Amino acid sequence: MNTATKVITVDRDVLSDRKQRAAELRRTFAQRGTLVVNLVSSPGAGKTSLLEATAKHWNGARSMAVLVGDLATERDAERLRPFVPVQQLTTGGACHLELSLVEKGLALLPDDDFEFLFIENIGNLVCPASHDLAEHLRVAVLSTTEGDDKPGKYPKMFRTSDALVISKTDLLPHVPFSVAAAVKDARLIQPCLQAFEVCALTGDGVDAWCGYLEAFRSERLQTFAETEATQ
Amino acid sequence: MHEKSLVQSLLTQVEQLRVQNDATSVHRVTVEIGPLSGVEPDLVQSAFNELAPEQFDAPLVLDIRLIRMQIRCRSCRHVAAVEGITLKCPECGSSKVQIIRGDEFRLIDVSMQVPV
Ligand SMILES: Nc1nc2c(ncn2[C@@H]2O[C@H](COP(=O)(O)OP(=O)(O)OP(=O)(O)O)[C@@H](O)[C@H]2O)c(=O)[nH]1
Ligand SMILES: [Mg+2]
Ligand SMILES: [Zn+2]
Repeated sequence: MNTATKVITVDRDVLSDRKQRAAELRRTFAQRGTLVVNLVSSPGAGKTSLLEATAKHWNGARSMAVLVGDLATERDAERLRPFVPVQQLTTGGACHLELSLVEKGLALLPDDDFEFLFIENIGNLVCPASHDLAEHLRVAVLSTTEGDDKPGKYPKMFRTSDALVISKTDLLPHVPFSVAAAVKDARLIQPCLQAFEVCALTGDGVDAWCGYLEAFRSERLQTFAETEATQ
Repeated sequence: MHEKSLVQSLLTQVEQLRVQNDATSVHRVTVEIGPLSGVEPDLVQSAFNELAPEQFDAPLVLDIRLIRMQIRCRSCRHVAAVEGITLKCPECGSSKVQIIRGDEFRLIDVSMQVPV
């Protein structure tokens, strides 16, 4: 058989199939009235605590469920289980969640008509930034103990986020952290970023955060149901 | 370290192209990595070196092109290539810019041996 060398031009995002699947799922969620929120942060920034505070604030007035990523344990799921339906997504060591894992977790939740579905990603400010989990909102949680220089150091994460929650604000008197500097740094990368200051321990700022989610769901979610949703 | 998962997706796509084109072998895969791709070129290369021989018989070369970021200003419509991860319009200074190129890990082309 005679053969020849041929160069096939592709010029396509390696993740384009996954991104398309995510866009389809995002539209399905919107049609169902479920706002999907992907929570990203470094380890221990306070994602689970924020979800506990959110669940307590709504206290059943809004229906929510949580998919929580963890390398190996069930600990975060156990913390949330007293409040809301929760499904653990064990990555077996992987540093980020992928859509396929989220889809498996969804199938294990008791219902599919929640008003809010939160996905707690693996604590990591790098890899989760590249993985679309069909969310309508990506929210970065940055705690006051991490330093206000993080947005500039992890640009992709903050560039791809819609909102920034500054957590552990009760510690502000004790740590060199400027909320204004962190928000300014983040907005250089993502000018449209919404910012919230929350203390999950005392509940300070939780109402503003929940109000944002409620308003986004009632005012913006429908647009994802109608159009081809891409990020 | 999510590069292994990405390289696995890349190799699956290369294999699909090989089958579609009835190729007898694949020689070279060219990819493009932007500064805001969230992908580390060295880790892509080592994941490729590990995974490619498991799927392809002939030696497969990975050609990584590191590109500059290209942005379009939402305020003045200026299009520019910028250094590093600068997200500011060099013309008017606005930070309301759209990234045209540089935030992805792209498969550019694949060189293969096909029947004639
Ligand atoms: N002082 C203070 N501590 C907090 C606050 N919120 C969370 N913490 C503490 O911070 C630690 C980590 O909180 P988690 O909610 O587990 O953080 P996480 O982001 O879910 O952590 P991983 O899932 O392991 O990445 C815990 O010891 C919390 O008690 C807060 O508002 N103030
Ligand atoms: Mg947690
Ligand atoms: Zn401009």
